[in-house]
Order: sequence, then C-alpha cells, then structure tokens
Amino acid sequence: MRPPELYFIDGALPETPAPDDRPEPWTETRVVGSRRTRIDGFDRVSGAAVYPSDVLLPGMLYAAVLRCPHPQARVKKVDTSAAAKMPGVRAVITGATPAADLRWYYSRTVFTKLFDPACRFESEAVAAVAADTPQLAWDAVRAINVEYEVLPFVVDERAALAAGAPPVHDGGNRVAEPEKYSRGDVAKGFAEANTVLEASYRTATEIHCPTEPHGCVARWDGPRLTIWESTQGVYPVQQRVATSLEMPLANVRVIGSYMGGGFGSKLQADKYNLIAAALAKLTARPVKLFLTREETFLCVGNRPAANMKLKAGVRKDGTLTALELTVLGTGGAYPAGGTSLVDWLVRDLYTCPNVRTESTDVYTNAGPARAFRAPGHPQGAWALEQMMDALAEAIGIDPVDLRLKNISTVSQAREGQPPYTTTGLERCLTEGAKAFGWHEARKRPKGNGPVRRGVGMAAGLWIAGSGGPPSTVVVKLFADGSANLNMGASDIGTGTKTVMAMVVSEELGVPLEKIQIENADTGTTQYATASGGSKTVPTEAPAVRDAALKVKRQLLEIAAEELKAPVNELQIDGEAVVSRRDPKVRKKISELDGVRRRGLVLGVGTRGPNPEKKAVDPFVAQFCEVEVNERTGEVKVLRFLSANDSGRVMNRLTYDGQVIGGVTMGLGLALTEQRVLDRQTGKMVNRNWHDYKVPTAMDVPPEIASLPIEVPDNEANISGAKGLGEPVTIPTAAAVANAVYDATGVRVTESPISPMRLVALLAGKRAGR
Amino acid sequence: MLPNFNYVRPATLSDAVRQLTPNARVHAGGTDLLGCLRDGVFTADTLVSLSAIEELRGIRPALDGGVAIGAMTTLTTVASDSRIAERYPALSRGVTAAASPQLRNQGTIGGNICQRPRCWYYRGEFQCARKGGEKCYAAEGENQFHCVFGGEVCFYVHPSDAAPALVALEAMVRIVGPSGARSVAADAFFVLPSKDYTRETVLGPGEIVTGIVLPAQPRGTYGTYRKVRARGAWDFALAGAAVVATIAEGRVGRVRIVLSGVAPIPWRVPEAERVLVGQRLSAKSAAKAAAAAVEGAEPLAQNAYKVDMLRGAVEEALLELA
Repeated sequence: MRPPELYFIDGALPETPAPDDRPEPWTETRVVGSRRTRIDGFDRVSGAAVYPSDVLLPGMLYAAVLRCPHPQARVKKVDTSAAAKMPGVRAVITGATPAADLRWYYSRTVFTKLFDPACRFESEAVAAVAADTPQLAWDAVRAINVEYEVLPFVVDERAALAAGAPPVHDGGNRVAEPEKYSRGDVAKGFAEANTVLEASYRTATEIHCPTEPHGCVARWDGPRLTIWESTQGVYPVQQRVATSLEMPLANVRVIGSYMGGGFGSKLQADKYNLIAAALAKLTARPVKLFLTREETFLCVGNRPAANMKLKAGVRKDGTLTALELTVLGTGGAYPAGGTSLVDWLVRDLYTCPNVRTESTDVYTNAGPARAFRAPGHPQGAWALEQMMDALAEAIGIDPVDLRLKNISTVSQAREGQPPYTTTGLERCLTEGAKAFGWHEARKRPKGNGPVRRGVGMAAGLWIAGSGGPPSTVVVKLFADGSANLNMGASDIGTGTKTVMAMVVSEELGVPLEKIQIENADTGTTQYATASGGSKTVPTEAPAVRDAALKVKRQLLEIAAEELKAPVNELQIDGEAVVSRRDPKVRKKISELDGVRRRGLVLGVGTRGPNPEKKAVDPFVAQFCEVEVNERTGEVKVLRFLSANDSGRVMNRLTYDGQVIGGVTMGLGLALTEQRVLDRQTGKMVNRNWHDYKVPTAMDVPPEIASLPIEVPDNEANISGAKGLGEPVTIPTAAAVANAVYDATGVRVTESPISPMRLVALLAGKRAGR
Repeated sequence: MLPNFNYVRPATLSDAVRQLTPNARVHAGGTDLLGCLRDGVFTADTLVSLSAIEELRGIRPALDGGVAIGAMTTLTTVASDSRIAERYPALSRGVTAAASPQLRNQGTIGGNICQRPRCWYYRGEFQCARKGGEKCYAAEGENQFHCVFGGEVCFYVHPSDAAPALVALEAMVRIVGPSGARSVAADAFFVLPSKDYTRETVLGPGEIVTGIVLPAQPRGTYGTYRKVRARGAWDFALAGAAVVATIAEGRVGRVRIVLSGVAPIPWRVPEAERVLVGQRLSAKSAAKAAAAAVEGAEPLAQNAYKVDMLRGAVEEALLELA
C-alpha cells in the first residue's frame, strides 16, 4: 500500500495569527482572486449533480395542487369524491382534512388556513392530491369539483385605492399607513435650486424565472420529517416548517442539495412544503411536489411594479439640493413589502441634505411579492438615474460629472450617518468611463438615418452586501492532505462553493481538486442564514478563513511538539512545517504523528462581527451603447460595461459570471419583461417563457465587460469581500433608458422599453405629441 | 400534463388518411400540437404521426423549374437549403426568423402553416369564441399582440413567418384527403375568422398537407422578409413583411407584399403593390407603398403601435430590394 500522499501547493502559506489575533489581510494571493472554474461544474453540466427535482425515492408518490382560477373568490364546496375513487390516487386533501388543518402565515400577523375558503389571488391553494404518477395526480385534480363564489377583484395597484375598488381584505386595500422618511427641509432645498425637475416613472412587475421550478420531496421516518428542497436557505425552511407543524426543529431535516436558481424567490418555505408533508404523512410514503412552470409565474413571488414620482432640485454647479419621491406599490394580496426599499437610492446614493420620501403599499388580488435580486433598488434606480440624466442635461454638465459632484462618504439615510468602510463609487465612475470610452462615445454622431446610436450610464449602491454573523463553518484536513468543508449556506448557482474552496486552498495549500464541500443540509451542515442579499461570500468566506486558520494553528502546535520548537517560529511551506529560524528544523505534514493519530485536523470557524458605526455597501457604475431603429422601435444593446466595487475579487471567473448574469437580468427589466394581468378576469395571460419574455442570447450584447474596482475592504471582514450578485443588476435598466434617450431624444419612463412602446413614443414625438 | 391518447405511426399516406378519424390529430414536428394538448386547448383520441412516411421529407425539383418541399421537411432543412436561399430568399429568411434553433430543428414546414393561433386567451384558461365560448377576450382585453387587419369575432394574428413568403411567392399547398389529392394556392389556404372562426385553414376532415410547391420565378425576381419582434429569438412577429418583386430595367414589374403579425391570415396588400408597379424602388416609393400598406388598419385599444411599426417594416423590406 502506498503511503498517504500530500497534495500541498508549494511555497509558504499566509501567516498564521496567534489564537485571538485578527489575521492580516491577504496581500499576495495564489488562489484567491484568480480565475477558477467551478469545482462542481462538471457535475452540474453532465447531469451527475442531483437537484431536488431529480430526487427519486422508493415508493414515492407525486402530488399536484388544485389552485383557484379566479383572482378573488370564496370556496363554497369542494367535492373530491370522484378524484378519491380513481385508481392510483392515494390521498386527496382539502380544508376539511384534519391533517391539513394548518395555519399559513403570510406575514408575522396575517394568516389564513393552508386551504382557506377565501382565495385572494389566482392560484391560491384549494386542494391537493397524491397519486402513483404525476399524470394521475393531475387527472385527479381535474376530477375535483369546486364551487366558487366569484367575487369582484382589483389587480391594478393604481386602482386599488379608488372609491369603490373591491376590497382584498375586510379592512380595505391599504397594507399600512404610508411609510415616510425625511431629512432636512425639502421646500428650502427646492428654493435653493437653480433647476427643479419632476417626472413620473413606472417599472412593470417581473417574475423570477429560475431554471429549476419551486418544489420539494417530503418523507417521514416516524416522528422525523425530511424535506429535499430547492432552496436558497435550508435553515429558514426548517424553521418555518417546524413552526407550522408544531414540531421540534430537531425533527425537521431540510436537505438543500444542488439548486437551480432562486433570485430571491426561494428564501422561504412555501405552502407546498406543508402540503407535501401532509400528503406524505397520510399515505406513509414519500411525496414529490414540484410546481409546474405556470404555477411558478403565479404564486411564488415577483418583483412588484413600482409607480414613482420624483422631484429633484440642483444648483447650476451640479450640487443636489433636494429630492422628493412618492412611491405606490403592491406586494399582492398579502403584506409582502410592495414598496420595500424602492426609495433607498433616493435616500442614500447621492449627497443631498434635503430628502423626503413617502411609500404607499396597497393590496391587490395578485400573487404575493418576494425578494427579487436587489429588492426595490432597480426600480428606484430607474427613477433616480433617469432623473440624474435629465438634471445633467438641464444644467449642461456630463452625467458622470454630475454624479461625481455628489458622492457621499457616509451613509446619509442610516441612523447616525455612519461612514462607509470603503466607497469605490468615484473610481467606478471615472475608471468605468475611461474603460468604456464614455467621453469619446458621447461625441460620436448619433446618425442621420432611421438607426440612431446613443450611450447611457447609471450608478448605484446596494443596501446589504456586508454579510455578517452568524455563520459557523467546519474544515477538516485529513491525514492524506485532502480537505472537507462543511457549510450550511446554499450555493445558489453563483459559485459560492468554489469561492469557499479557494479560501481553504489559499490558507492550507490544498489544491482545489482535493477539497470536497458538503451541500447545505440542516441534518449535517452548520447553521447559516439563507443565501441572499449578496451576503453569502462576505458572510461565509471569513468564517471559512477562520476555520482554515484554526486548522493551521493546530498543525503548527502538533509540529511544535514534535520538532521541539516554539509555535510562533514555525510556518507551513509546501508540504512541510518549517522553522523560520533554521530551515533544517522541518517535518513533512504527512509525517506528523499527531495528525496521523487523530486521523484529521478539525477547525471550527465563525463569522466575526461587522465594524461598529460603519456602513458596508457595494457600489456600481454601468455604461452602455445602444442602437435604436426609429422606424420600428427596436433597441439593440451594442456593448455594456459594469464597474463594480464589491471589495476583494475572490474568483475572477465567477465574479464576471455574476456581472454578466446581473446585467442580462437588468436588460430583461429594461427591454422585455412584464407580467400582464387581464383587465377583464384578473388572470395572468403570459404565464410561460414564450409570452413572458426573459432575454435570450440574441438580446444581450456580444460584449458585457466586467471591470472590478478592487478595493479590499479589510475593515468589513477578514476576506475583504463585499457582495456582488445584486449591485450588478441595479443600474442596468436605467443605463439603457438613458442610452435610448441619448439616441432618440425620447425618455421612456415606463418599463419595458419594448418596440411596441418605443415605436409609439417615437411616432408621438414626430407628430409633436 | 399531456392527456391520454393513442399514437399511430402509419407507413403510407393512404393509411394516415384512413387513421385520421374525427378526433384524431396529425403529429408532424409536434412543437405546436404537444403544447396545445398539454395546455388543454383541444383534445385528441389519437395522434397520427407522419414521421414514418418518407415521401413527405425533402426538397426536390418540381415541374417547370419550381421546387417542391415535403411537408415533413424541418424548418432547419429549408433554411439551410442553398436552392431555397438563392431562388426564394423571402422563404429562406422567413423560416430562419421563426422560433429558435431547437424548434426549427423539430418543427416542419407543413406544421408551420397549420399552426393554431398563438393568442394568449386561446392558449390560456379562457373559454373563448374559437374554443366554443361566447366571446373573444382580446376584443376588450389585453390586445397589444392582436390584429389590426381582418379581425372579426376573433382577433388573433397568424403566427407563421413562412406563410407570408409562401403567399408572396404564389406557392401551392398540396393536400391529400379521403377523396384524393388536391392543390390550393397558398393565398387561398388560410381562412379568415369572418368566414369561419373555428378553423384557420381550408383543410377538411381527414385532410393532410403533404407539401408545398414553389413556382419558378422570372429572371430578376428578388425577395426578402423583415420581421419585427419584441425579443431577439423565440418570438412571433409583432409586424413583418414578405416582399417578392420582379425588377426589370430598374422598374418594378410584378410585386407581392404580404404582411405577418397583423392579421389572422398572411395579409396581402394589393394597394401597396399597385403603388410600386412601374416605379423605381426608392426611399420615396418605398415610403409611399408602406403608407398604402397600412391604409385601412383598424387598431384595437392597445395595438395602434402596429401601424407605425408595420410601415417601418414594409419600408425596410422594400429598401432592402432597392
């Protein structure tokens, strides 16, 4: 038998700090910051990776849910007798089934029954079936007879507060009193301005459209429930399911496995978890319940439409004097943050002493909203960044210069106006403009023919993206030099696992291919918050580094004993522990008796606190060039550049992947995506990927350049990284709108800038309307 | 979920016709049929697959210098055929503009002209007039993608990008049915809702499209297809135009302009054609013809944009031939 081999990368590893010291920031890195393909890339593309929707268990049944086809109705009678008699149908549950008599909390205080007679949006759950095959389950659903009292509805948030609008809830259609924010004196600010502009903006409702639909497999083993769930966070799902079923957390295991995208719509448990659990319990068999694509358009979240009115004052030197924003939005039929964070950029992005915002959230008979990649921010940017463009034009200065004039080093809207640990916004703007060739591009002729060219830019910040405690991570270094990383955070497709393996590799010298990472699982991995808010890397990477440092520390302690040398004199160099004083004092790690005796060295890392009285935000500036066919309204995005300050670049390849993906998603908001609800019936008419138009490869420019403005944020955390996944999509749509304006002189204030809308606006302009 | 059905795969055309009982449906590429069945747009007891009938595949020379395309020829095959590209560029561009590469690999030219309406009410959970219900939901509803010409009772737009080119090229559609074979001009193949709002083509019970014959084109004939869509791929036309023109000594002789995305059938605009006959193709004549092409458009509440867009599409198609 061959002796155990070590796979350490040659050369000295980063210093190992004393037990209670904060480690030095990485300086020269060998792994972190390089371009690394995903450690699970082959498994994902070859089909070897098992996603929750791939799970097949012996004896497993398939479930389907009967959903209300009306936006507002009362269930009067449910007749399941025909369905229950069908061969192969194992269980049919309704609101009358004791096992399904459960509460579902849509918010902290607002709840309904799991199957409630009051259906307040199209696709609310009415009954469910478990059967031997998916086909049988759907046949049985169709055989259930429901008698509805169909009620008047309101699906347009702009009509929800009108007199006589049908009430979604007994108390009317206001979710709460309007949310107000104010600093300084807005009236005074407008009086001091040389130019005051006011405009209305609207963004359409967007659907998340992850590749893998939402769903789970549920199985009972006695009192224990195991759920395989396509999720961004196994622990929030465990918490919610255990609470709803009044079970100990210890008896609910949620296995995350791989997952096929969520974009914020999979941060939480869903009614389908309880339905699958109830059906599995009644049938004593595992039950698989995955939603159809159509269902995912209706009941598992959206980015709600935002109606914004923005008034802005500026001095002729470009100093902002006042900003005033009113927002009307809807989270659908239940409290779901319909206007959440829409005003944050107006409050916080640019230096402005006088700001007032007011947000009104209303109920409508539509599916509840969920967090959607940078909640509120792209909507707010659509208004603010188009307004900045208009202000720049009005006072005759370059849009980049107007933004540079108003950069803030403190977070003005946070309590106590704390300074940012780092802000790379100025560099994003100046270096982004230079790399894009902004000033040259602005001077180029727009063309005389029907095809016009234009450039636009926009900027942003993201309120979260600092990450923070809690997180616990376990790194095991085995005696053969391979390592296992045990982390409860989900890799939601962003490359989290690869980044974490790179951190382990950086600190321990273990090559990436010798690192195995556990998928998120409440039964086996440590506690972690859901992967969302662009906080996964800045939360988990420091914890992983901490765990790796603890492994190193122990290695040095073991070696110190065997080499009879003081610990602080030793360092790891390639496959050996070596004395800094005398290179002859050395021992191969594979020859350390202490390691072999233990079998492995285990390090438990935690995420330390964030700096006090500081704000940690990522920043972004984006630039694009478009071509507009004025005859047809077609917009072609020719090129795009995103300059991002997200702190340290952990993996340049997945970093660029986030930039390209975020920009692509932003182009969907800008150009193609909108939920359409039928005014006559309140039903969604475009619940599929043909009618609901996510961008295709033909809709993104051949060149989406990623320009990292790398300012390692060593005060923020011991990895120096800030969040990236959300800031990349915040200013995209506004940048496109500004470019379209530059090309055509038409300001498109309502998304999407479809050929339908643009050709009509262009015709209006020609006709002088 | 797909409903239950029987599936037969006859080896001969006559057997296929025999199997095509009243609630049976023809299965060619299936890109349209299977979606309709899954979504419950209509039902079928039996699917009659044409995939085993070899004679329905391929592109061959036809009599008098024309070209015959078997109904089961995929759009990809048509798009990549050099004869079609050289002699019938309007058709070549039409099929290339359709759908997405995967759908073109699977979808057939025969199936493409027999597509059911893509109206989101017809495809959705709405009991609309075409499905035996009482009203057309688009008339007063979300009609931004609906028709501006030829609407009556039902306001869908014909989804095919190939059909306008076939009409412009004066192609013939070959049909086989219980009483033998017949040929119908592409122009006469499609049915307006005002004539019969329950069907889209003249196919009778048990009839199958077997192929398309493209007649030889006179020397100096040019063609193109311009499609405007909301998304760069996998999207139907918002407005489009197939143009086939014979130009001699710089002047337009015969010309056919057929619109897509604006009417329940490929919509020929003879007024616009008349404007061009005897004229040189120029920015001026193209604009004039484009203006004539949109004459008589009757937009619904949300699709007035189609008039301007269509004018642009026709203009660009004509200028491409200039």
